[in-house]
Amino acid sequence: MKSLVIKDLHVNIGDREIIKGLSLEVEKGKVHAIMGPNGSGKSTLSKVIAGHPDYEVTSGEVLFEGENILGMEPDERARKGIFLAFQYPVEIPGVSIANFIRAAVQARLPEGEELEATEYYQHLYEKMDQLEIPRTFTSRSCNQGFSGGEKKRCEILQMAMLEPEYAILDETDSGLDIDALRIVADGVNKLRGPDLGVLVITHYQRLLDYIVPDQVHVLMDGRIVMEGDKNLALELEARGYDWVREATTAKA
Amino acid sequence: MSDTTAIDIDRSIGDFHYEVEHQYDAGYGLTPDTINYISDVKGEPDWIREFRLKALETFESKPMPTHWATEDLNAINFDKIRYYLAHAQKPTRSWDDVPEEMKQTFERLGIPEQERKFLAGVEAQFDSEAVYSNIKKAVGDQGVIFVGSTEGLIKYPEIFRKWFGKVIPTGDNKFSALNSAVFSGGSFIYVPPGVKVKHPLQAYFRINAENFGQFERTLIIADEGSEVMYMEGCTAPKFETATLHSAVVELVALKGAKIQYVTVQNWSNNVFNLVTKRAIAHEEAEVKWIDCNIGSRLTMKYPGVVLKGRKARGEVISIALAGDGQHQDTGAKMIHAADETTSNIVSKSISIGTGRATYRGLVHVPRHHKGCKNNTECDALLINKSSRTDTYPAITVRGTGNACQHEASVSQISEEQIFYMQQRGLSEGQAMSLAVNGFVNDLVREFPMEYSVELKRLIDLEMEGSVG
Amino acid sequence: MTTGIASPEETPATAPLLTTPPPAGASHPLASLNAEGWETFNSLPNPGRKDEAWRFSTLKVTDLSGFTATAPASEALCSELLGRSRALEQTAGRMVFVNDALVARDLYSEELEKLGVIWKPLEQAAADHPELFAKHFMAHGAELGGAKYAALHKASVRTGTFLYVPANVSVELPIEIFHWLSGEGNSSFPHTLVIVGENSKVTLVDYFQSADAEEKNLAIGVNDLHVADGASLTYVCVQEWSATSHAFQINNTVVGKGASAKSLNVSLGSRYSRIESLSKLIGEGGRSDMLNVTVARGDQEFDSRTLQDHYSPGASSDLLYKNALDDHARTVFAGLIKVEEHAHRTDAYQKVRNLLLSDEAEANSAPGLEILADDVLCSHGATSGQVEPEELFYMLARGIDETTAQRLIVNGFLQEAVERLGNEAVEALIAERVAARFV
Repeated sequence: MKSLVIKDLHVNIGDREIIKGLSLEVEKGKVHAIMGPNGSGKSTLSKVIAGHPDYEVTSGEVLFEGENILGMEPDERARKGIFLAFQYPVEIPGVSIANFIRAAVQARLPEGEELEATEYYQHLYEKMDQLEIPRTFTSRSCNQGFSGGEKKRCEILQMAMLEPEYAILDETDSGLDIDALRIVADGVNKLRGPDLGVLVITHYQRLLDYIVPDQVHVLMDGRIVMEGDKNLALELEARGYDWVREATTAKA
Repeated sequence: MSDTTAIDIDRSIGDFHYEVEHQYDAGYGLTPDTINYISDVKGEPDWIREFRLKALETFESKPMPTHWATEDLNAINFDKIRYYLAHAQKPTRSWDDVPEEMKQTFERLGIPEQERKFLAGVEAQFDSEAVYSNIKKAVGDQGVIFVGSTEGLIKYPEIFRKWFGKVIPTGDNKFSALNSAVFSGGSFIYVPPGVKVKHPLQAYFRINAENFGQFERTLIIADEGSEVMYMEGCTAPKFETATLHSAVVELVALKGAKIQYVTVQNWSNNVFNLVTKRAIAHEEAEVKWIDCNIGSRLTMKYPGVVLKGRKARGEVISIALAGDGQHQDTGAKMIHAADETTSNIVSKSISIGTGRATYRGLVHVPRHHKGCKNNTECDALLINKSSRTDTYPAITVRGTGNACQHEASVSQISEEQIFYMQQRGLSEGQAMSLAVNGFVNDLVREFPMEYSVELKRLIDLEMEGSVG
Repeated sequence: MTTGIASPEETPATAPLLTTPPPAGASHPLASLNAEGWETFNSLPNPGRKDEAWRFSTLKVTDLSGFTATAPASEALCSELLGRSRALEQTAGRMVFVNDALVARDLYSEELEKLGVIWKPLEQAAADHPELFAKHFMAHGAELGGAKYAALHKASVRTGTFLYVPANVSVELPIEIFHWLSGEGNSSFPHTLVIVGENSKVTLVDYFQSADAEEKNLAIGVNDLHVADGASLTYVCVQEWSATSHAFQINNTVVGKGASAKSLNVSLGSRYSRIESLSKLIGEGGRSDMLNVTVARGDQEFDSRTLQDHYSPGASSDLLYKNALDDHARTVFAGLIKVEEHAHRTDAYQKVRNLLLSDEAEANSAPGLEILADDVLCSHGATSGQVEPEELFYMLARGIDETTAQRLIVNGFLQEAVERLGNEAVEALIAERVAARFV
């Protein structure tokens, strides 16, 4: 089965080790959730997979269907099919959403092949309608002056347009009210299928009511300390992270 | 001499040149003889010869303005420049009659094609003289005059003399004096009252020769209630030695008239581009300078509007891209000389590599006029660690009832922005280009469609290799 | 209390300032510096029309003909002025000078001397602490156009204030210094040298006043403010020279790592005034607040030149100049933020706001930026406008007369800069001095 495999990953920021031997496999067609308290290394993991230059991988591998991608530039990884929905999407002044996504779609076409404009817009509008994004947004600068919900919906729009192999949703629920959360989750669920592996990173169980995971992993202090099915998330919600802490120290 | 069809091509669109034999050559250096030569071959009236000779004295008496401008000006050696190079003095009205090498030059730059597509008239200048000049018959029939400066001053002295040198006097600065002494080429345009020229008139300035100075002189008069848009494009091949381009452009917008003057320059980086551009706007007239400065070694250009009549309006929209080793020293001048005059300046610059972008502005509300307003915005974008930007505005306001506002900022493209775009699959270079295009996006929209596409392409070219 | 009135034979009473080298007795601790200054002064050219550093300036401030070298004042006048040398209610100490002679030095907290604070007349400090003095006295040249006048100051300075606060000492109450000038044509060369040691804190207020509002005086003052790592200095200068006087002021501030310097010029007096203020940020995390309020009336002209010079990465500076102009008054603001190479992560802001109250008033603004580093946040702005008619009408509708309304509006306009000091007592004092201009 095709998958994204993380093998014994160790990551530093400066001199500080943030991820301390993390292993995980995200299979195509499955939704995995990583839950963990603040500061456990969740966002670091997503940035490392995407190739953010601030993080130093000291050992371990990230295998994209068998190929180690850690030496690749961020854009190379993205074009392979890794998509990161950012927790805090940056503003890009003057670059409209339509042009931005178009450039990203174009970057995935073979050299010399030009994106057909009318088809592109048709496709874009379709996805925007699904995500309840008003069409006037196409001419607005990417993420500039967007509300939290608008930013997140725009992330999912990009995911829909770029059709990744593996998508990492980094705290996609943060800053969303219940209606926005539902729209975003619906958007993700529509994209679920045998050709997409999803890694949902979240602090709260709430999002997982909407995007129901196949497997749940608990990340604490840079390691996966507990794994289970969707019920683990519910248990975690009921008993809190201290319960995990006690359970794992008892084990140790 | 090499084969006349040999072409040197570089990545940049204008960087090629054809070997051309000039029948008229004033030689190197600048003396009264140079001027007499130019006046003789052009068959000019005496008043213009005297005007030129006097201007030469002014030029020689004025020091280089290095007390405020860059010392790099001292690198210009006026003795090593040729001041007049021409094939003939009269432009043809048909591309078929343009000498082959010159015709090929303009074909490659796409001028005849653009003319067919969307222009009301075209003048194509090759070194010192226009080789082609034509205006669509329908436009000419409305009484619009669109000819070269020499033809203008000989054929239409009553209009020409009234305004020539009045907006920009010879002694305005050292380079306006130089232009006044040796000017050749450029356009003379007169739009009769109430005539609205629908399509743009375009001039293309091409420097082909090495060690040469191009000194075109443009005078545009829009009579009461008329409207005209003028566009100019400029290129030169890349030579090892310095080339000088020093134009003077005077615009007169009479009561209620509108002039838009669009420039897209893409000089090669051996060109000193020292240009004086100014307009007078009479009552309720509107003048808009839309200026894009790419390339050149040093550009000094501060388009201005003297708002002379009540409710006159002036605007400067400017984009400057200072590539590695280049200095774009640009800006704007707004002189509010009547009540209720308004002006707007928006300037955006991008400095790449060791490029330096400088904004100099002058806003003057001199006496107690009422209801004058100026708004100035300058934004600078620095791409690399060694890039530089300066902003030097000067604002004088006298009296109550006026409002002037200046704002400037300096920013970078953040690493987070680049990472975000890379995560979507764009290369670092593409991400940079996109961010830079986004930065100037609102200004690019001010350019005519055909130019904004060209601009975007030029920006992409300049951004290539700016990363890493 | 000590008195230090100069003896008459030291300085000839009527020596023209520009023709005779201003002599200090050979025994005077500043004599050799005076000689150096005089030589420099004579070697430098007068500022000219084409001088960028003097753009917009009428240059009339530079006309020094008719001024004489400092002559001493009578003892009776000195004691009268001493009586008038009261400003803030609670202070840590005061010095009073009349015609460049010390009249009083009062230290209200003896604790400070025990902590190692040195607070002396300048010339005494030069004699007692030659190394400390030499290292800091006019250590930075006048870079903003006034080098010739800084040299004349150096040639003519006889006394001033020297304040040294050693490391880790907090002087809670402000220290006040009064400089009085009396006698038609007489000149003064006030000097304030402050060294704030690491992690120390002090507030200092200079008051410049003419003894007689009808007399024409010349003042050329220099400040050296050194703020060491982690230290904090608040400096205020209230300038109220007579309305015919010429005044130069050259301020140099050096801000160390994590240090903070706040300075406020309150420009109310003089016919022609030129203030050159330089803030050099030499340490990471340093911060400089440069503030100014000007009330320009009659035919007064105020010329301000500023430089926020960022040498070190990660420092910040914030300048706010507010000018209220009435009658035929003129102001010039020419400022520059300079971010030197390698001064990455600089935050620098510069704002000038002009409020024009009359049709003949003229405000010139030239805010500048020179950025040679990367990853900086810099912006500047300049606005010129007038009192909004609705604002005035609102006040009139409440029964407030126009002069009062104008005063209130001007005060409100200046308040934004004054309140950045964060010292209520000083704020109240400034409000009072500004209000006094509107009677």
